[in-house]
Amino acid sequence: MDTPSGKLVRSHCVGTTAVVYASDYLNKLTGEKIEHECRRHLNCGCRALVIDFGDTKLVNSIGISILLGIIDVAEKNGARIVFSEVNSQTEQLFEMLGLTRHVVLAKDEREALLNISRYETTPIVH
Amino acid sequence: MHGFSLRLCAFAGEICHETMSSRSSSENFRRILGRVVRQDFVGRAGELDRIMAQAEPLNAGRGLLLLMEPSVGVSELLRQAYDQIFNQRTEVIPIYFAITRNETTAVSAAIEFLNTFVQQYIAFRRDEPVVSHAPLTLQDLLELAPPADFEWIEQLVDAYNRLRFSNDDKALVRFCLGAPQRIPAGRGRPFVMLDGSQLAEYLNGAVVLGTEILRVFGRGGFSFILAGLRRQILEAAHDAKCNFELIDMLRLERLDATEAARLIEHVARRQQVATSEAARDLLVQQFAGSPFFISIFLQAAREKHTSLLSYLDCERLYVDELFGGHIHRHFADLLEEISPRLDARHLLIRLLWEAAAGEEQTSSFEVWRKRLHMAANELEDVLHRLHVQEFVNWDETTVEAGTGPQAWKDYLKIRYRLDVLNEPRALVVADMLADSLKRAPHTMARHYKQIANAGLRDLISRFNTQQVPTVLFDYKTFANKYKGAESETIVSGLAAETEFVKLPQTVHLASCSAFISDMRQICEEDHCLIAHTFEEGTYTDAQQVIWVAADIESKLEVDVEAARLWCERLENIANRLGFSRFQIWLLSNEGFSEEAGKLLDRRKAFSSSRQQLGLLASRLGEATPSPVVTAGPPDEFLMVVPMGEDNELIAANTAEQIAKRLTFRPEAINQIKTAIVEACINASEHSFSPDRKIYQRFRVESDRLVITISSRGIVPANLNGTKSGSEAKEAAEERRGWGLKLIRTLMDEVEFERVDDGTSLRMTKYLRPQKSP
Repeated sequence: MDTPSGKLVRSHCVGTTAVVYASDYLNKLTGEKIEHECRRHLNCGCRALVIDFGDTKLVNSIGISILLGIIDVAEKNGARIVFSEVNSQTEQLFEMLGLTRHVVLAKDEREALLNISRYETTPIVH
Repeated sequence: MHGFSLRLCAFAGEICHETMSSRSSSENFRRILGRVVRQDFVGRAGELDRIMAQAEPLNAGRGLLLLMEPSVGVSELLRQAYDQIFNQRTEVIPIYFAITRNETTAVSAAIEFLNTFVQQYIAFRRDEPVVSHAPLTLQDLLELAPPADFEWIEQLVDAYNRLRFSNDDKALVRFCLGAPQRIPAGRGRPFVMLDGSQLAEYLNGAVVLGTEILRVFGRGGFSFILAGLRRQILEAAHDAKCNFELIDMLRLERLDATEAARLIEHVARRQQVATSEAARDLLVQQFAGSPFFISIFLQAAREKHTSLLSYLDCERLYVDELFGGHIHRHFADLLEEISPRLDARHLLIRLLWEAAAGEEQTSSFEVWRKRLHMAANELEDVLHRLHVQEFVNWDETTVEAGTGPQAWKDYLKIRYRLDVLNEPRALVVADMLADSLKRAPHTMARHYKQIANAGLRDLISRFNTQQVPTVLFDYKTFANKYKGAESETIVSGLAAETEFVKLPQTVHLASCSAFISDMRQICEEDHCLIAHTFEEGTYTDAQQVIWVAADIESKLEVDVEAARLWCERLENIANRLGFSRFQIWLLSNEGFSEEAGKLLDRRKAFSSSRQQLGLLASRLGEATPSPVVTAGPPDEFLMVVPMGEDNELIAANTAEQIAKRLTFRPEAINQIKTAIVEACINASEHSFSPDRKIYQRFRVESDRLVITISSRGIVPANLNGTKSGSEAKEAAEERRGWGLKLIRTLMDEVEFERVDDGTSLRMTKYLRPQKSP
């Protein structure tokens, strides 16, 4: 059986912002993949992170705890972080566990990038 | 002719020389002395085969000493062997004799042996099993003897009758025991199995039967088996100056957990006692796989018409047994044999219990002599008997108490409270029941942790100079390279690794607490191991390395403080034990923090996460379980999924399909799915589950969906509602403690059902969520 955890994490850079796409199930393994990808982009000089949850249908508490770890890492690196396209159920969980206190939620990737661009000096490259 | 009716066939011919195996699997297998049918005889297949091998012509004239751990039971094994040999109808004639507590002197026991021998010989020669158990005198037997055997048996009986009144006890005992030697050539080869030889040492009279048995059998030229307590029988063999070149040995120990569980299932079915899996597993652990205790316990359950479905059922019966049942009688008889005088027995109980319960369990012979007011030779006799039963360890100068099975310790405690402290019986009963019930989950938890850590033990023992990628012993590097990577990526990455570590050969592996008893207070027995190893399998000082491995319990990465503490603790152990060259290996479920990794680098300690351990195991060859899914009745769906591999999604998706039928809103369906995922994660992470399975029940009602997620194993402290304030704070601080919080928020009702073993979480979601009052 093909499990969601088996899928790769997609990402790309828009200027100095990395956009990382979460898969349909956010658990320990997929969370660690996102973390790995975020760290990689930060090490390569990215100054902001957008994590897109457009495909994400289900999250679990371990996945959320890893997201908190990513927020910590971003803060330590002075990078901004925005979550985009979070569905209402997932948003409810994020609120319940206090994530929304530390991160900005955007309607979609474009809004997320716009949000970040307000704080950046470098232009957004599409 | 006497009243006993026998089929007097003309059988008197030559012995049939069929091969041993030709009739053993026959449908006409007759149960003669065995108390259970062959299918119900479980757990001793290897030992039975070994006994059968002893009866082969190759081993003619050789003896086999069955060295028993106390309370393991051997009688049924020998009876089954008797039946098998009898049914095979070869030239081997089985003789089974059990010395019982009814025999008071060596002479009476020897006469009984002679009678049994003649009776079983004739039963075999006539091929009439019924003769084996009939109450017959020697004169009766003579009349039943086949014509071909009549003459020598008559001579045997005549000689016995002459010796019987000669007043030479030793000669009479030797004559009786040596009877199998008198079988004429061509009339069969005797195979004597003697059970209960531990009782032979203490029979009254001038003759020491145990020594005589070994002397006569050892020189008799016939094959024999002597079953006795391991600490006693070897000593007796040395005393009898046995020729050890003609003696083989077989150690008879307790059953492992799987075999003991099978035994309980079989005996319970036979005794018509209802049991549950949880109760079965508790009994296996509580009686440490002792077939003797298991059998008499289930017998007691049958006698009292008691089911054994819960821990409470088991412990109630256990306490009844300790106070007045079979277990009580067993220990009371032993104590009476060890110390026949009542006043001395009370002093002995007091000393045994106080020594066992105190911090210092070892004291000198002289201390014991003064406390018991005994002469040295009397105390030596008492200590010898206690030592043989393994209730103490006695090495002539010091006595160590606190040994023996749990049932013995419990028995001793209640006798102490009743006989020495004169406490009210009702109070002692109530306390013992409460203590046993409180102990039960801990007993199981210890067992589950041992299973979980058996992997580490097994892994270290299989190092065997194999070469594996170094990164499997370096969490920091592993996390940098592979954290979050696909399993295929990790496997191919490991295959491409260029740095390897050559594992040593492990020659001795034991729990750290076996070396330093203080460690028992710090961690579970199998959480810290010491392995004596040799690099390259070369046995020189230069190649000797002692591995000191510890598995640290932590749900998150181990931080630098904990890593330092464990490093120092293990270094301290190595120094205390004088290990000049040692290798520290720390393990943790989730690995180690970056800071901890740097510290471990500096200290040259190995570090691995559970994932690395799994990869290491797979490189050394280890299997993984396969998933099992089952279905239930129409309004109730049952499903069992193996833990791990994202299998919680299978449960969540099943729940989604069921919830859709009940027309739950998509938002509610998502909440149900998330709650199920969290419940499954909790079950997987916390339980040390023995079967690694999650049991799910979805019950559809008109206005609600009730989901029960269960797993066997340990009840986590933060789930059973018994956590202390500080633990609660710690749990709240841990991000991984969120699961239950989420479940309670997402579902309308959440309740832990009381189960003996593991956890069962019942969650209810209403179609229209109930408002709080």
